[in-house]
Amino acid sequence: MILLQLAINGVLLGGVLALSALGFNIVFGVMRVVNLAHGDFVVLAAVFAAFAFAQSGINPLLLLPLTILAGFAAGAVIHHLLLRRLPGEIASAEPSSLTLTFGLSYFLTGAGLATFGGRFVSVPFLTGAFQLGSLSIPQARLLAFAVAVALSLGFAFVLRSTAVGRAIRATSQNLDGALACGVDVDRVRTLAFAIGTAVATAAGTLMSFLYNLNAQQGVLFTVNAFAVVVIGGLGNYTGAVLGALILGLTESFASYFMGATLAEAAPYLLFILVLLVAPGGLRGRRAA
Amino acid sequence: MKRIVLPFTALVVVLLIMAPLRLNGYAINLLYVTVLSIALAYGWNIISGYAGYFSFGQIAFFGVGAYATGLLVADLRWYWMPAALAGGVLACALAIPLGYVMLRLRGPFFAMGMFGMAQMVRVLVTAIPATGSGSGLFLPPGSGITEVYYWTLAICLGAIALTIWIDRSAFGLRLQALREDEQVAGTLGVDTTRAKISAFVLSALIPGLLGGGYALFLTYIEPDAVFSSRLDLQSIVMAILGGLGTVWGPLVGGLVMTQISEALWARFPQIYLMIFGGLLVVLLIALPRGIVPAIADRFAPRRGTLRQAQDKR
Repeated sequence: MILLQLAINGVLLGGVLALSALGFNIVFGVMRVVNLAHGDFVVLAAVFAAFAFAQSGINPLLLLPLTILAGFAAGAVIHHLLLRRLPGEIASAEPSSLTLTFGLSYFLTGAGLATFGGRFVSVPFLTGAFQLGSLSIPQARLLAFAVAVALSLGFAFVLRSTAVGRAIRATSQNLDGALACGVDVDRVRTLAFAIGTAVATAAGTLMSFLYNLNAQQGVLFTVNAFAVVVIGGLGNYTGAVLGALILGLTESFASYFMGATLAEAAPYLLFILVLLVAPGGLRGRRAA
Repeated sequence: MKRIVLPFTALVVVLLIMAPLRLNGYAINLLYVTVLSIALAYGWNIISGYAGYFSFGQIAFFGVGAYATGLLVADLRWYWMPAALAGGVLACALAIPLGYVMLRLRGPFFAMGMFGMAQMVRVLVTAIPATGSGSGLFLPPGSGITEVYYWTLAICLGAIALTIWIDRSAFGLRLQALREDEQVAGTLGVDTTRAKISAFVLSALIPGLLGGGYALFLTYIEPDAVFSSRLDLQSIVMAILGGLGTVWGPLVGGLVMTQISEALWARFPQIYLMIFGGLLVVLLIALPRGIVPAIADRFAPRRGTLRQAQDKR
C-alpha cells in the first residue's frame, strides 16, 4: 500500500515538474536558448497570485487569463528588444544568451523583491485531498498534473498539425532552410519566447497552491526544468512529460528509502546518467 | 608599450601588497572579495573561455577545497595554509575522473551537467557525518583576514600569470583550436581529450586553492555558503563581461562589476538587484563580445584574430 501511495505521489510530483518545465522546454526546443530567467517568471506569477489573493481574496484561477496575457506580452517584448539583438543566436549555450537571461533573472528577482517583499507566500486553495481507501490524492497536485498533460498535448498538437506549428518546427530544425522557405523566423522566435513565458506564468499561478515562495526561489524551478527537459529529450513535449514522471517517481521513492538528504542527490544523479548514456534525452533526437 | 606596462603592473602589485597596512576592516573585506571573484573568474576562463566548455559547476571544487581545509584545520589541527593546499590537490584529484566523464558532453549539456554535478557533490559532502552534515562546521579562530587576503592575492596573480602563459603557448593554441572545432582539431593531431582534461584540472585547481581561504574568512562553513551558485554565476558573468577567452577579460570584468555593484548597493539598497540585472543586460547588448575585445578592436583594427575571422565569415 505504501508503495502505491509513493507511486501516486511520484506521478503527481511528475505532473507538477512537467508543468513548471514546459515553458522552458518550448524556449529551449525552438530557440536553443537556456532561459535562466524561466524560474523567475514562474515564481513572480506565483507571488503575484498569492498577493492578489491576500489583498482581495480573488480566486487565483480567475487571474489565470491575466497572468497568461502578461507573461505573453512580457516575453514578446523581451525577445523583441533584447534577445533578438544578440549575435549568432543559433549556437546552443551561446554565452551571450546565457548572460542575458542571467541578468534578466536578477532583474526579475529584484523587481519581485521590491514589489512584493521577501516574505514566503502561498494561496490556501484546493488544499484538500481525495481519499481512496487509505490512499490520498491531493487536489492541487491533481489539477497541476491535468493542466500539464493538457498543455503538453495541446502544444504537441499545434506543432504537428498547424501552419504555425510547422513554421516553429522548421525554425528549430534548420534556420537557413526555414528562411529559404519564406518563414518569418524572427516572428516565430518571438512567438515561441512569448508562449514560453506565458506557459511559465500560468504554471506559476498553479504553483502558488503548492509551495511557499518568495521572489528569490526562481532558480529552483529553472534547475528542475532543465533536469526534466534533459531526461525527456530536447524539444520533445510528450517526452518531457515522461522525463518529469521519471524524475517525480525517483524523488518520491528515493526520499522514502534513502532519507531526505541523500534523496536530494538522486535527481542529479539520474540527470547525469541520462546525459551520459543518451545525450539527446530518452526520447529526443540524437545530439549533433 | 612594455616600458609603461611593466612598471605600472609592479606599482599595482606593490599597492595591493601594502593595502592591508592602510585599509580599515570594511575596505579590506571588500578588497578580499574582489580579488577572490577575479581569481575565480580566471579559473573558469581556462576551461570555458579558452577551451570553450561552458561550466556551471566549477564552484564544486571551491566547496571541496573549503570543506577539506575546514576538516583538516578543525579536526586534525593543521595550520590552514597547508590544509588549503591539500584542498587544491584534492580538487585536482577529483577533477581528473570527473573531467574524463563530463567532458564527453558538449554545449548546454556539459554546462548543465556540471551544474548537476556540483549539486551532487554538495549533497554528498553534506551527507558525510564528519562535515557536521547540513548544520555546518566551525573553524577555530586564529588567522586573520590579512593572511587570507595574501593567500588569495597570490593565487589570483598566479592565475593571471598562468593565463598569460596559456595565451602564448602551444597548449593555449590547442585549447582554442578545440573550442573552434573539436573534430578538426582532432584531425590536425591535437590530443583533444588530454588538452581539455588538462584545462579542466587547471580550472579546478584554482577554485580548490581559493576555497580554503574562504573557509578561514567565514570561520563557519555550511554547504550553501561554500557551494554558492551566486558566487559561481557572478564569476562567470565577470569573465564574459570582460571578454571570454582573453587574458585581461576577467580582471576588467571583475573590476567593473564590483565597482558597479558596490556603488549601487550603497545608493539603492532596495532596488539594487533590479538595477544590477538591468545594467548587465544593457552592457551585454552594447558590448556582446565583452569589454576587452571591444577596446582591443578600437586600438588595433588591423590585427585580425581567429575570432574576428570567424565572425566576419
